[in-house]
Amino acid sequence: MIAGVRSEFLKIRTTAVPWVLAGVAVVLEGLVILGTFLGNRTSGGGYAVPSSTQELRNLLGAGFRGQGYLFALLLGALVITTEFRHKTVTTSFLVTPRRWAFVMAKLVTSALLGAVLALLLLVEALVGGGITLSARGGSFSGLVHQIPAVVPGMLLVFALFAVLGVGIGSILTNQVAAIVTCLGWFIIGEAILVNLVHSAYRWTPTGAGDAASNLTRGDRGGGTFAIFNWWQGTLLMLAYGLGFALIGSYILRRRDIT
Amino acid sequence: MTSAIEVRDLGKQFGSVRAVDELSFEVAEGRVTGFLGPNGSGKTTTLRMLLGLVSISAGAATFGGKRYGDLDHPIRHVGAALEATSFHPSRRAEDHLKTVALASGIPYSRVGETLELVGLADVARRRVGKFSLGMRQRLQLATALLGEPEILILDEPANGLDPQGIQWLRTFIRHQASLGHSVLVSSHLLSEMEETVDDVVIISQGRLVLQSTLADMAAQAGTGTGMRIRSPEINRLAEALNAVPVGWRQTAPDTLVIDGATPEWFGPFAAQHQIVLYELVNERGSLEDVFLRLTHGFDAANPMGPSSGQSAPFQQPPTQQSGGPS
Repeated sequence: MIAGVRSEFLKIRTTAVPWVLAGVAVVLEGLVILGTFLGNRTSGGGYAVPSSTQELRNLLGAGFRGQGYLFALLLGALVITTEFRHKTVTTSFLVTPRRWAFVMAKLVTSALLGAVLALLLLVEALVGGGITLSARGGSFSGLVHQIPAVVPGMLLVFALFAVLGVGIGSILTNQVAAIVTCLGWFIIGEAILVNLVHSAYRWTPTGAGDAASNLTRGDRGGGTFAIFNWWQGTLLMLAYGLGFALIGSYILRRRDIT
Repeated sequence: MTSAIEVRDLGKQFGSVRAVDELSFEVAEGRVTGFLGPNGSGKTTTLRMLLGLVSISAGAATFGGKRYGDLDHPIRHVGAALEATSFHPSRRAEDHLKTVALASGIPYSRVGETLELVGLADVARRRVGKFSLGMRQRLQLATALLGEPEILILDEPANGLDPQGIQWLRTFIRHQASLGHSVLVSSHLLSEMEETVDDVVIISQGRLVLQSTLADMAAQAGTGTGMRIRSPEINRLAEALNAVPVGWRQTAPDTLVIDGATPEWFGPFAAQHQIVLYELVNERGSLEDVFLRLTHGFDAANPMGPSSGQSAPFQQPPTQQSGGPS
């Protein structure tokens, strides 16, 4: 299993797509940081230094609140569907004939990668936020104090979304189909559902992830919706991700690789 | 002789199509077996069933009694080179092999060794997307060899290779056999494999047509060899031939073929009868004729399957097949 995960890491490291994806996430996070500070005008026309706990938390969690978790989701989906797109799955199944073990290695690898992506964005938020704060006379220590409260939840959520991505990709092995489904659901489908049924939010992956991240606010589209507590959210996310992966493994087990 | 690979009553149904039907054969240990048949005859499907990539509808395919999926670190026992397309184009050749090595606990030192072996050491750091078809074939071979397997399965490895490449491949396969490894190599051209294989397994439309040693097949084919003669005096030649105990048949208005004749015999014979000759060709390579005869008119000429007359002389007792709807 460890060998399989190490091999998966090498596979990912040696192709361009994950790097591009991480790069785009970092750039977007940079824009979120800039927006948080520069866009925060007071009524008098000057800039307000974010100081409240919530504002700082939002900044650190920008990767999440800026929907950075979507990158973890796509990463997970790409990690598995790229094998089918380039037919490398033939070699992978020759090396690892037990197909559930193949999916398992993808799940573990993607979860770790998701956490690494979260870490990357957090470091960026800390450095970017710290520099901006200091330049404008704010207190950097206030930001640092938020780390214990925000970091674990964010690592967890990114990992959970990456697992969900692998789960979706194991069923929709066609890369385009998997990506369109992911983006379609999280950008359009969920918004429509939640607008129609507010109470559904807590059951959606975003709502569950929101709960798991331990971020207290569950706002979406202007409203604030009830969410589960963090462990319920975590379990729900795992149920989605692993449930899909289980279905995917079952389908894969019977699939002819021609 | 022990078998490296055993295929027993193997069958595969794709929807309403029976791609492989009650196919049985064995690959002997330490020998090179050519797996021959026209395109679409079920070779690739059979190999993929052996390797657990395609599910088996009926029968069994095993390596020393074990299914591929039940082998511990299978690529250390069975190396397979299946098709030239299954690489990530932006991954470097060396990295591709490393991912495989890492997953199977094979030391990285093997990566350089195998690249050297297949002649790709110079392009180890190049991305596979820039590789020619021939280079991909070699990288496939390198992948297959990585785990130092004792059994090799090669699916049409000659595709995309230039004549030098094919020559190299032959040497490579013979070298594997000299190390005591068993090789199952598929091809749709017998001529490509004729100099390489010890045994042949020929299939057509998913069924076994013949399992035999190449020597037995050649002996059988040998009865069809002879000389092709073109002459403006074809009728006089025929008369002369009728006076001697040789078989012959006319294949064109000015051409006939004499069974089993040699130039040493026919030259003086023609001179003695003062017959003008335009062309005198030693007919060879009729192994291919046998192959074509076996694989083409299979259904029409031999509806009873491989157990009927045509291929019966080739049957090896220990591998008595059970193919065909007999």
